[in-house]
Amino acid sequence: MPALRELQRRFARGMWSPSESGTIEAWIEGDAIAEADRLSIYRNTMTGVITNAMRLTYPVVERLVGAKFFAGAVGIFMAANLPRSAYLNAYGADFAAFLAGFTPAASLPYLPDVAALEWAVAGAAAADDAPALDARDLAGFDPIALEALRLIPHPSLRLVRLTTPADTIWRILTAGDEAELAGITLATEPFTVILHRRTEGIALRRLSELECAVTEPILQGRPLGEALMAGGGIDAVALLAEHLASGRFTRTA
Amino acid sequence: MALLTPSGAAPGPIPAAAGIGLRFQHHRAVIETRPDIAWFEVHIENYMGGGKPLEQLETIRRDYALSLHGVGLSLGSADGLDADHLERVRRLTLRFQPGLVSEHLSWSVSAGQYLADLLPLPLTEEALDVVCDNVERVQERLKRWILVENPSSYLRFRHSTIPEWEFLAAVAARTGCGILCDVNNIFVSASNHGWDASRYLAALPAGAVGEIHLAGHSLRDLGQGRTIRIDDHGSPVIPAVWRLYREALAHFGALPTLIEWDTDVPPLDTLTDEAQKAEAILDAFRVPQVHARAS
Repeated sequence: MPALRELQRRFARGMWSPSESGTIEAWIEGDAIAEADRLSIYRNTMTGVITNAMRLTYPVVERLVGAKFFAGAVGIFMAANLPRSAYLNAYGADFAAFLAGFTPAASLPYLPDVAALEWAVAGAAAADDAPALDARDLAGFDPIALEALRLIPHPSLRLVRLTTPADTIWRILTAGDEAELAGITLATEPFTVILHRRTEGIALRRLSELECAVTEPILQGRPLGEALMAGGGIDAVALLAEHLASGRFTRTA
Repeated sequence: MALLTPSGAAPGPIPAAAGIGLRFQHHRAVIETRPDIAWFEVHIENYMGGGKPLEQLETIRRDYALSLHGVGLSLGSADGLDADHLERVRRLTLRFQPGLVSEHLSWSVSAGQYLADLLPLPLTEEALDVVCDNVERVQERLKRWILVENPSSYLRFRHSTIPEWEFLAAVAARTGCGILCDVNNIFVSASNHGWDASRYLAALPAGAVGEIHLAGHSLRDLGQGRTIRIDDHGSPVIPAVWRLYREALAHFGALPTLIEWDTDVPPLDTLTDEAQKAEAILDAFRVPQVHARAS
């Protein structure tokens, strides 16, 4: 008779790898319905629940490759990336990296970028709430204090580096107008998307290299004065005003 | 911590009436139409982030009694509980001040892996100790009692020594937790394992049962005359389960009763119709209000 911990270890192994379910099957009461068939009911539920969670996180990837291909890819992904928590919203972080090395998807070079973007979008959608910092909150600071100020990004704020127009693809498919996909030029210079959650949904915007040079140090908690100097010729103050107006930063409690 | 902010005006206890398992696709309909439903139950794991779902649940919470139902605590894990997951449950419990909190008599975590299903336990003295320890830890952490639900199961272990109904009663007796009696699960498991569903019901300690679940299930044909019942929550409650529900009410009295539907979720109206069927049956078991006169 196995101890409970041993039984659960063996059961877990048998769930992920049917060829290793022999030990656990020997502990199961059998009758007209074989032990392996009973076990596979649980296995099917498990893979179904995880696939469904991935479907909710990566709906655009699924639309691009089709439900069957998606389920197959997720099946391979999950066997190598077992969920560590019952909070399945947080599952699937490495799917973009997996797709980048997944040969059957090689004909869709933008797929890993779309996955990376969807991971950021899902993370933004589920991030904690926090009150937005707005320009009025900064009104009381004198210029010197303002230069020394360090801002806190909204918990939903994400920067995603892309090498394909995955943001455009995402926008088109999220709006549901697939016909527009034909008009996309895939060749592009690498660029950065900044996104965060607003009341009306997730807001995405491309940042130019110089805008990025200003924004990244702010996100890293560098003093505003230093960050605003990094933008070369651009109007960094106007960019900061836009960040604030969009609610990309938060007030401390 | 935003999550620690308690909700505003929040209706309290769950009434002995029919409620509905609330899923995301019905949030908007509930907020806009304010259906006449006594209470809602949600899966705790679906609200563990911030953003819109949480905000909508806050809105709904202002007008309806709420129960939080977990699927991820893994009360049967020999490794003990995932402290991070328990903390997320605690924060949501603080925030929503639910009328009831419940989990399952099952396990889903081993060696830090989450197996995404309610897996069966061998019903042994060792497993009973494990479940009781874990239930006690949850109750200490949440500073409240919880309900533990009987699962549907598709296999049994050869070395089980305790009938499931006695196991559940023992968990309740030892930890002070309540029992969430899922009538459909009793029907499914009894049918799959050749148990007597009526005997199962009769063996549960009436005073410990705090809630009833009802749902649809499917009958899967495995060929050669073999069938197994699958608890997929994707169809109306079947007549045999309604009959068993009447038996349950005869044993336990009128109790909060939940209609669950998770696969191919239908329009809200279909769920309110199911809830009304439960309500009509509940009516017959409600104790008439006696207005005692001071002598």
